[in-house]
Amino acid sequence: MPSRRSFLARCAVVGAGLIGGDLLGRSGRLLAAAPSLADPGDPEVPNEQVAKLLKDLFGDRPIRKGHLSLDMPVVAEDGRIVPVIIESDLPMTADRYVKAVHLIVDHNPDPHLAAYHLTPAIGSVAIQTRIKMKRTTWVRAIIDTSAGDVWAAYAHVNVSLNGCG
Amino acid sequence: MTIGEARIRLPDRIAKGDLITVNAIVSHPMDTGFFRTADGQPIPAYFIRDVVVSYAGEQVARFEWTSGVSRDPIVSFTLRADKEGPLTMVWTDNKGGVYRQTATVAFTAA
Repeated sequence: MPSRRSFLARCAVVGAGLIGGDLLGRSGRLLAAAPSLADPGDPEVPNEQVAKLLKDLFGDRPIRKGHLSLDMPVVAEDGRIVPVIIESDLPMTADRYVKAVHLIVDHNPDPHLAAYHLTPAIGSVAIQTRIKMKRTTWVRAIIDTSAGDVWAAYAHVNVSLNGCG
Repeated sequence: MTIGEARIRLPDRIAKGDLITVNAIVSHPMDTGFFRTADGQPIPAYFIRDVVVSYAGEQVARFEWTSGVSRDPIVSFTLRADKEGPLTMVWTDNKGGVYRQTATVAFTAA
């Protein structure tokens, strides 16, 4: 029986293929229609609260997908305890490093759930924790680097039991 | 565990320069302020909001948390073990509670 991870990896490959194909077909129109730098696979910003949060944290800098993985369950049966793994392949050296990792849960009462401020001594971005989720929503992990680059990873989590009250 | 009781786990064997994983847990209710007791009394927000990690006397990370972090919060992260010394974590909650724990980074004899 294949492990969960290898299954997820294969799903991701299939998903990437589908999105890639779609991109090829629509990229011309999308570029013409949408001046924003958002990738068509990015989750829509759901409300003003999250929009303001992203603006406050990252200003007008583009939020691009990449250099980051956000590993969360596709279905969280108990919204009180949802595991999160955030990892990045970006270097952590004295002159180039990840300054901060922000964890944002779109439909939680306080979407800016946690911020992890790091220094080169931490050596890598590999953070694990457990969080509460109110309902089914997108989760965003977004990192801010010393060079001012912003990288993101997204996960859509289906929540069965409200963990926020 | 009583509130604020904390543990930090480091690998058993550490060589100079290793990228080690640090696992930490602190006992805390992390109440959101949205729940009520069985008899209808609101449970006020009570959660850890700040975590400072210091290694050999230098601050190497700081975490800002909300009540969205699960009860008895765990966090794991890496550390470049380039010197021997204490690894100290200080958790502070929204009611002024301060909880501290220290583990020692010591290199294993080859």
